[in-house]
Amino acid sequence: MAHARNTVAYRRTVSIVAVLVVLAVWEIAPRVGAIDPAYTSQPSKVIAAGIQIVRSGGLLEDISVSLAEFAAGFALAIIVGVPLGLLLGTFRVLRYLLDPPIMAIYATPHLALLPILVVWLGIGMQSKIAVVFVGGVIPIVVNSIAGVREVESSWIAAARSLCAREWDVFAKVILPASLPAVVLGIRLGLSRAVLGVVVAEMFQSQAGIGNRIMRYGSEFRTDYLLFYVLLVSVFSFTATWSVRALEDKLWTSGK
Amino acid sequence: MTGFASWKSSPIVLGVVFFAALLLLWESAVRFGWVNPFFVSRPSLIAASLSREVQSGELQRNLAVSLGEFAIAYGASVMIGILTGLLAGRFCTLEYILDPFLWFLYSAPLIAFYPIFVIWFGLGAPTVIAVSFLLSVTQITASTLSGIQNVDPGLVRAARSFGASERDLLWKVILPASVPMVIAGLRLAIGRVLMGVVVAELFGATAGLGFSIAYYGGLLQTTNMLASLVVVVVLGVLCTQALSALEAHFSYWRTDLRI
Repeated sequence: MAHARNTVAYRRTVSIVAVLVVLAVWEIAPRVGAIDPAYTSQPSKVIAAGIQIVRSGGLLEDISVSLAEFAAGFALAIIVGVPLGLLLGTFRVLRYLLDPPIMAIYATPHLALLPILVVWLGIGMQSKIAVVFVGGVIPIVVNSIAGVREVESSWIAAARSLCAREWDVFAKVILPASLPAVVLGIRLGLSRAVLGVVVAEMFQSQAGIGNRIMRYGSEFRTDYLLFYVLLVSVFSFTATWSVRALEDKLWTSGK
Repeated sequence: MTGFASWKSSPIVLGVVFFAALLLLWESAVRFGWVNPFFVSRPSLIAASLSREVQSGELQRNLAVSLGEFAIAYGASVMIGILTGLLAGRFCTLEYILDPFLWFLYSAPLIAFYPIFVIWFGLGAPTVIAVSFLLSVTQITASTLSGIQNVDPGLVRAARSFGASERDLLWKVILPASVPMVIAGLRLAIGRVLMGVVVAELFGATAGLGFSIAYYGGLLQTTNMLASLVVVVVLGVLCTQALSALEAHFSYWRTDLRI
């Protein structure tokens, strides 16, 4: 569509002004008594809470717990998900067999598994790692399957006609060609995994960011709660953005 | 996704047979004492628990609560999301205003706002609806917006050069052309609403499927917990299948138009 105001500068200005206006209203409305600050807190209070949390020194510990759970679960999801997806994409019978269970898990809200995972694995780190794994692995598998299946069949035929062995076809044609879809799966799994670790910690835990969110929530400390939520959002945004950058690189190098 | 070709004849037989084999393995593994039934229960016990819940009306009550919350959250987010997406797609200033907030809502773990919603609305249905609405409306707005932005500019130019008014352009070109993306958004959002409903109910509710999962989980009654989980899985599959069918219908319609 033809827009007169399509410049980058205009776009940036409007976005920044919009954010500033919302922050200003959020700051001023409780001050003039339009809303109860206990309900919404204020930007200045959230910043103050952030400074206090950083100074008190407990932040690093919570971050390291949550990050460890996330890293373990998501690494496991990649290690299991990518080969499984490539395998299912390559072998039709295997795919037919596993399709119904995978689709069922894909359609299910994976966080509904939390209570049963807690019964199986306890309230420690294992149940969080499991939730992160389940959340991350399914998009990775599904997209890896799609990646293999969407490889241009003429490329495979060309490789075969040049006497490539089956393994060469897989390693030199199918694998590189499906890489962008695999990375897309990793990106989609990432946000589910981040949500998984936070919600699992909110559900039952002894430490971690989600644990803090739940605790400050029940104490009505909205400012503390918002600081932690913001922290997770920034992490999720940065991680997704980096994978997307990797994806763009792969797409452009592939074409 | 494996597409429709795989749903013909042999794949569906293979899938069903394998699924049945899994259930059989589960049942016999517990019966022969290889696995502790406390942890995994078994299919026949879960089926019995489901039929007991149906007879006592417990399942219907929980299902009604969850579906009610689901319907309100999804209905509201479909209306508001599509409207916002349309407006943002037509007026770029609005798009630029919404952009940072959409990005934030997209990457924020929205369920973490649950304690704040409890402060605002109290425990129970309003909080569940608010969390699910937020999860869903973000997806629908973003998909609708990108659907409108990705309308083939050639189509718009062609309509303009034939003297189409702004209104004709909207109703006859832009809306129909963005339908597939909008429906894809609806499909993605339905999963998010279901997640929102079940997870918010896990945390604090007095009825509903998620509540029942958490309740029986707290009592360590694995069979009853898994029974509710099975209902959630079935619900998820049904919703996704329904929207996939709708999506297939509309993309079929679109390729037809393109001749």
